[in-house]
Amino acid sequence: MTDAQVFADLGFYLVAAVILLSALGVLFARRVLHAALALLVCLLGVAALYALLAAHFLFAVQILIYAGAITILLLFGVMLLQRLLGGGVLAGSHNLLSGLVAAAAMFFVLLGALLTTSFTVSPEATADLGAGNVALIGRALLSRDLLAFEAISLVILAALIGAVVIARKRAPGE
Amino acid sequence: MNLSFTPPQLFLPGLHVGLEHYLILAALLFAMGLFAVMTRRHAVAVLLGLELMLNAANINLVAFNHFQQPQLGGAPLVSGQVFALMVIALAACEAAVGLALILSLYRNVGSATPDEVDQMKG
Repeated sequence: MTDAQVFADLGFYLVAAVILLSALGVLFARRVLHAALALLVCLLGVAALYALLAAHFLFAVQILIYAGAITILLLFGVMLLQRLLGGGVLAGSHNLLSGLVAAAAMFFVLLGALLTTSFTVSPEATADLGAGNVALIGRALLSRDLLAFEAISLVILAALIGAVVIARKRAPGE
Repeated sequence: MNLSFTPPQLFLPGLHVGLEHYLILAALLFAMGLFAVMTRRHAVAVLLGLELMLNAANINLVAFNHFQQPQLGGAPLVSGQVFALMVIALAACEAAVGLALILSLYRNVGSATPDEVDQMKG
């Protein structure tokens, strides 16, 4: 095992610890605002995982879109609710036992499935395509996956218009 | 003199990170997201749990793409990463529509606890 591999392994365990600890924050923070901030840390950890997996473009997208845009949207939502409510938005928990049973069952089913499956791992698994990775994604989006690309832009347009229509204040006579 | 730093070889063979490690991490994250969706009282916190589950699925997609390196006619395929991009775009839509629904719930019902919203008439 080379030094680089050992450092990559150490990096994985460090990032995994950050992700799981911040996910615990999402589960148990008393204020929704704090839970959203914990989610931000978790998403940045997932971005670091993408970097470890040599997915450079996804690393940037995860930080820009997920950690940047989606989390800020959620934080805006929480703060708007705080204004409507006139106080901190608290998030209690309920059904703790049934939630724990369901989550543990889900995890052990997944664990059993993946431990009993033998995955084929390519010998060039650690091959880093470098910047070619980004070029490949760009080419795939405009050739092989063009239909999905165009469809998703339509979905985003519909979702944004729908969000504005749903969230706007109704005029009294409407 | 050899100045290169040699890290301690304290790893058991099973601790060397492979595909399974990423899959187990993703399974844990998915289970935690499910727990948040089932136990949180506030609708925004439920949305946060959904984001955790989407991210777990994305980790799986990217890890499979990296470790299996699919090829098509000699050229490497990046379908797993493209799939993850689509999931990220859909997550953005879901967050926007979900927040709009929650705001509208507050205006009309005065509560954003999913349990308390059980009437079809507005």
